[in-house]
Amino acid sequence: MTQAAPVTDEALREEVRAWLADNWKGLPRSGGGAGWTASPEQKAWLAKVVEARWAVPRWPAAWLGRGLSDAQARIIEREFAAAGAPGAGQDRTNLWANTLLACGTEALKQKLVLPLLRQEVGMCLLYSEPGAGSDLAGIRTRAERVGDHFVVNGQKVWTSGAATADYGMLIARTDWDVPKHKGISFFFLPMKQPGVEVRPLRQITDESHFNEVFITDAIVPAENLLRDLGDGWSVLQTALAYERSVMGESARGGRSGAAESKTEEPLIALAREAGALGDPLLRQDLAQAIAYKRLNALNTARAKADLAQGSSSPVMSLGKLAMSRILHEEARVRTAILGAASLLEGPDHPRSEDANFLALNAYFTSIGGGTDQIQRNIIGERVLGLPREPEVDRDIPFREVRSGR
Amino acid sequence: MASLSAEERSALRDAVSRLLADKSTEADVRRTMETETGYDSGLWGQLAEMGVTGLVIEEAYGGAGAGPMEVEAVMEAAGAALLCSPLLASSVLAAELLRALGDEDAKARLLPDMAAGKTIVTAALTGDAGTWVEDGVSVTADAVDEAFALNGVASYVLNGQNADVLLVLARADDGLAVFEVDPKADGVSLAGLPTFDHTLRLARITFSGAPARRIGGAAWRAVQAAIDLALVALAGEQAGAAQRCLDFTVDYAKNRYQFGRAIGSFQAIKHMAADLLLETESAISAARHAAARLAEGAADAEAAVSLAAFACADAFTRTTADAVQMHGGIAFTWAHPAHLYLRRARADAQLFGASPAHRERFLKALGA
Ligand SMILES: Cc1cc2nc3c(=O)[nH]c(=O)nc-3n(C[C@H](O)[C@H](O)[C@H](O)COP(=O)(O)OP(=O)(O)OC[C@H]3O[C@@H](n4cnc5c(N)ncnc54)[C@H](O)[C@@H]3O)c2cc1C
Repeated sequence: MTQAAPVTDEALREEVRAWLADNWKGLPRSGGGAGWTASPEQKAWLAKVVEARWAVPRWPAAWLGRGLSDAQARIIEREFAAAGAPGAGQDRTNLWANTLLACGTEALKQKLVLPLLRQEVGMCLLYSEPGAGSDLAGIRTRAERVGDHFVVNGQKVWTSGAATADYGMLIARTDWDVPKHKGISFFFLPMKQPGVEVRPLRQITDESHFNEVFITDAIVPAENLLRDLGDGWSVLQTALAYERSVMGESARGGRSGAAESKTEEPLIALAREAGALGDPLLRQDLAQAIAYKRLNALNTARAKADLAQGSSSPVMSLGKLAMSRILHEEARVRTAILGAASLLEGPDHPRSEDANFLALNAYFTSIGGGTDQIQRNIIGERVLGLPREPEVDRDIPFREVRSGR
Repeated sequence: MASLSAEERSALRDAVSRLLADKSTEADVRRTMETETGYDSGLWGQLAEMGVTGLVIEEAYGGAGAGPMEVEAVMEAAGAALLCSPLLASSVLAAELLRALGDEDAKARLLPDMAAGKTIVTAALTGDAGTWVEDGVSVTADAVDEAFALNGVASYVLNGQNADVLLVLARADDGLAVFEVDPKADGVSLAGLPTFDHTLRLARITFSGAPARRIGGAAWRAVQAAIDLALVALAGEQAGAAQRCLDFTVDYAKNRYQFGRAIGSFQAIKHMAADLLLETESAISAARHAAARLAEGAADAEAAVSLAAFACADAFTRTTADAVQMHGGIAFTWAHPAHLYLRRARADAQLFGASPAHRERFLKALGA
């Protein structure tokens, strides 16, 4: 790793503060909901952050970083958070850029690392298929080498952001005669080409963020292969680990745009507003839902402190499971506060709109990025060291594996 | 000792763990819990030598002058080993009550021997119903010449039968006050209660004109401070015990085979274990956070202590309950240690108030 000149915590903090004071002027609010694509103002801001080397300070200097320790990088993240400025800490959260930096060819890195950090290119994850969800090693989309590129055929599903994406991180089968984990390769597939057809799916939230993707003789250049042919499973593990840790820390808010109290716990404010704060049963639920949130924050803080002291903590792996518990419970309590009002929706009923949306969208975390059940398997096996589940198809050539829905 | 660094604190926890691994084995616990006093005086002496019995007592009185974070760390180790001792009653609750009352005369008289492990003091804070709230106190104190006479009943008194000195919360003319009472004095009758958790000692104490000496002034704030520190200690005990219980359960799941597989490879078991890991890790975070906030005297200390109180009680209760289930029939036997932890969990969950009350206090502390 390229090491920048060592800097004291204090000097670093001063430098970020001064830079933010000179440069951060705020961004116009990008109307409601979670933005799946960055606005021109956001992109311009990110470009500045990247250029000043605040975006990925843990990365080496050769790749726009500062070679800083985790503890020092967090100083930068805290200053950005305090100012309300986005863009720092991408070396923790930007799963595309991290996967590419860790596993990509030199040519692909030169081409895409900078645009990824500036969010100039849109990305999506082409993992799930109709016949392969939790069991991603069961994918049947195939990629075949033809000269200096690969030809891809198959179908993907639940692909968030596919409609706007420039590239998809694709897993495809390149060898059918080896056991299922061994014949998979990982690519950056260009999405804007005739062989890639994206069809939006209507979600339970009535939105359409995810899609079906039909891939017919699509082309991917050989330099877009990450690691070696047949080594895709290991790349996928790297990418999934980033995805899960991000999901353990963040969650979408409501979608009505109704203002929430900044000073008081939103659940308490809502109960107060609804005149329900005196209900002793509800108060028990309120306390418990707020407690789940606080406990997760405390766990995360402890894991970070452990990490700073050089010991890794099992707590890190618990974030996603904790988050899905928090989201489902929060939605349940919101609904309990509103009572019959939760039967309604639409602009005249923003509180119900939020409660109902959150109840549905909580599945984003408990299913997306691997289900809670899979997460429990992972914690049981990798953290607690319990024996793996027997897999009937682990050692046989994929050609002979049974499939079906 | 005073406030230790994080490393020193974990060294302290490790040192106590090592001692208890040797002296508070399952066999030791089983033997000790059936004795009259319910604790091992030899081990108590060793804990005193390590400074554990005087942890929160000021250095001027022979203590370590440490704080909530050190207490919490020690209690994690004590909980894991199911230590039978008056640590919570004497070294935490009574010691903190004396500190908070700030009566120099009483401190000088009692604290040095408490720190040295020679004197065991306990605090009788509840009325007959065991509620640990202001309204629950039913002992009354009447002024008699220079001294006082106590009348009434205090029950669920932790380690009452071990105490050389009682600190009794009673109603005086000017409100609640704390009184020092000799348990052997006339007018004091003390009965040990048959506890569900055999590692615990509780007594019911009846006062009929018992001679008492008043300590300090208005008492409730001091009692609340003592209960808060005791809650942090208890949270540490619960977190440490839950973790130990999860550890031996996971171990069992790796080694017990059914249907030709280790039972830990079955998801019904594996998923329970993963959920329990979330519970126990959250308990540890909550207990340590509460200790840190209390040590700082932070404005949100009350919220942090209440959160730890119910999170740790619930986590320990659930961990022990699921641990029994995951062990199957073997855990239903007296010979298996799971029920010892289950009993401790159910007992700890009632001391100083139960989870619903702590959830309510947590919410109030958040301004609701
Ligand atoms: C909002 C959202 C966004 C998504 N975005 C993307 C995306 O951008 N790109 C992408 O590729 N995918 C995406 N996904 C797909 C997601 O990763 C899969 O839905 C998920 O991994 C589950 O796969 P499945 O839907 O096929 O369910 P299945 O795997 O069929 O699971 C069905 C049920 O069986 C259980 N189950 C399956 N296997 C096991 C096992 N071994 N042990 C215990 N239980 C098991 C599951 O927990 C679940 O309850 C998204 C999903 C959602 C909900």
